[in-house]
Amino acid sequence: MFFRVVDKERLPDLIAGLSSDHEVIGPIEKDGRFVFAPISDPSQIRLDYDTTLLPPKKWLMPPEETMMHFNCADEEVTDDTVVASPRVLFGLHPCDINSLLLLDNVFLQGHVDPYYKARRDNTLIVGMSCTPSPTCFCNVWDTDEVHWGFDIFLTDLGDRYYASLRTVKGAEVLDRHVDSRAVTEKDTADFQQVVHEFKQGFSNNVDTAQLPVLLDAKFDSPVWDDFGSECLSCGACSMVCPTCYCFDVKDRLEVDQKSGARVRTWDSCQFKEFAAVAHGQNFREDRSSRLKYRYYHKYWGYLSKFERVLCVGCGRCTLACPSGISPVKVIEALQAGGSR
Amino acid sequence: MNDIRVDECACDGVGNAYRPWPARITSIQDLTEKEKLFELRLIDPEVREAFKFHAGQFAEISIFGVGEAPISISSAPSKQGFIELCVRNTGDVTGALHKKQCGDIVGLRGPLGRGFPFEQMKGNDILLVAGGLGIAPLKSLINHIHDERHEFGKVTIMYGAKNPGEVLFRHQFDMWKHREDFDLMLTVDESDDTWDGPVGVVTKLFDQVDVDPDCTYGAICGPPVMYKYVIEEMRKKNMDVDKIYMSFERRMKCGIGKCGHCGVGHQYACIDGPVFSYWEAMNLQEAI
Ligand SMILES: Cc1cc2nc3c(=O)[nH]c(=O)nc-3n(C[C@H](O)[C@H](O)[C@H](O)COP(=O)(O)OP(=O)(O)OC[C@H]3O[C@@H](n4cnc5c(N)ncnc54)[C@H](O)[C@@H]3O)c2cc1C
Ligand code: FES
Repeated sequence: MFFRVVDKERLPDLIAGLSSDHEVIGPIEKDGRFVFAPISDPSQIRLDYDTTLLPPKKWLMPPEETMMHFNCADEEVTDDTVVASPRVLFGLHPCDINSLLLLDNVFLQGHVDPYYKARRDNTLIVGMSCTPSPTCFCNVWDTDEVHWGFDIFLTDLGDRYYASLRTVKGAEVLDRHVDSRAVTEKDTADFQQVVHEFKQGFSNNVDTAQLPVLLDAKFDSPVWDDFGSECLSCGACSMVCPTCYCFDVKDRLEVDQKSGARVRTWDSCQFKEFAAVAHGQNFREDRSSRLKYRYYHKYWGYLSKFERVLCVGCGRCTLACPSGISPVKVIEALQAGGSR
Repeated sequence: MNDIRVDECACDGVGNAYRPWPARITSIQDLTEKEKLFELRLIDPEVREAFKFHAGQFAEISIFGVGEAPISISSAPSKQGFIELCVRNTGDVTGALHKKQCGDIVGLRGPLGRGFPFEQMKGNDILLVAGGLGIAPLKSLINHIHDERHEFGKVTIMYGAKNPGEVLFRHQFDMWKHREDFDLMLTVDESDDTWDGPVGVVTKLFDQVDVDPDCTYGAICGPPVMYKYVIEEMRKKNMDVDKIYMSFERRMKCGIGKCGHCGVGHQYACIDGPVFSYWEAMNLQEAI
């Protein structure tokens, strides 16, 4: 990887420069929390944000998207193109960049998902270092670091940024839009110091040893009923999760009833009808089995295919759950063996 | 950077995997009150040519404005150019399909999923057990075995239906009763005066067969409750856990491993299945 150093005062130049030919999405403040939103003025951006309400997946797989337009009379697809305009996701933390790598495994392997791919290919990623917050547990999955999946990564050294350039595109835009200089030994030493302090900042050190084994061995554990009885099946955990990708597909007819659109929307395995099939059968009728399935898939199902868990420890679900259920608590309960 | 359009990033030669292709209904046969057999022909010759499937795979049937439903392909892979689907009217898409006429067009996507290990089964005896609509995917396997009959040893088919009116493909099976190369056993839960065969659940038929566990492959498809009991019988005959195959029905939306609906244990029924060996199924939580 190549590195450059950018003075902090110069950063708005980069954002402004990128804005000339991209839609720039970055963290801004909204009602005391943060969201990823289009940036019209570089001063709006809040690079000191802790986490956003919704994860960046929103910009690669929108909550609702049209897959194709159709004509009912001859069952013909009239249009299945997706126009993915050039876009920058600015200021993504390592956990969120890692989440995109996990989504890539699903959408870009096997049958490629053309909608996701079009957006992914036309999105530039500028990462930003962060400070651990009380709900973060990225450290346990090693997703507090990221080494690919971005174009530029900026590590905050106080008065300047240590910029890692991963791609040609990233190097090009940095060169074009902002004054930067070569890295000195002092810069690298400061970088190491910042990283060292960052690593000390985590408060959750949950034991994830042999988690897949525990999930199978404790499939019938009362732990699941304990958490299940508190779960409201609201699906908030899935909506705010940067790695939950499940969707539903529906057809919508125009008023003429002759044409329409096939649309997909975010879905959640926590919703009761998610696994319902014909003849009133439902493979996960009760809440505890649905809650269990979500953990089972994240920490074992996905792992069995892609050798990583489907979680980056961002802590959004912990903040969103109205019943205070968190992966940290669930894993601790499983490790302890008993109920909470 | 320029805008990227989906059609430019169409991958592995199949284009958009979510896109259904128009297929014409070339024949419709009423099988029972609830089931019809549809024969479809993909209209685009290139797409038709590319549609090569294995017994046990399925297709997504699409009716625009209504939606999509996964349906097993019940014709044999050796039957070229046409695809048969045996469809029960249970809801939106299947209901709309049942209203279609011969000559009408529907959408089709596939073939999808992992079918039966046909090549691996060759050289062995075969014991097929179907319950109700479970005969649909097994019919593809049966017909494929029929087309390459010399490759197999003894072939036994056990098929149970609720009542004689619900026996699917009864006409074909009535003709097959007298064949020497297939041991066909039909049973119904409740009999009526059109029935002179055995009465009782399909597992009762196991008393009447000899199985050589060293060289017998099993294939099972039926309602979820059936699997446990059939497997019990097969295990009593000492059949190996990795020679018993079964097809699972789960809720499906995408059919290509993206939407997450078909999760069974740590696998997805749409891409890892729908056919699993019993050994695999034993390792899938909530599968049986
Ligand atoms: C691999 C595979 C192979 C299959 N092969 C065949 C086959 O060969 N022939 C065949 O007839 N069928 C087959 N099926 C079953 C068929 O796909 C389902 O019955 C499918 O649901 C039919 O779609 P539909 O739109 O007609 O029904 P739907 O409108 O989806 O309704 C079917 C039933 O699903 C339930 N349901 C649907 N939506 C909800 C919801 N939101 N909440 C709760 N319950 C709901 C209801 O009980 C409803 O009665 C197969 C399924 C799979 C997975
Ligand atoms: S049906 Fe969508 S993942 Fe299997």
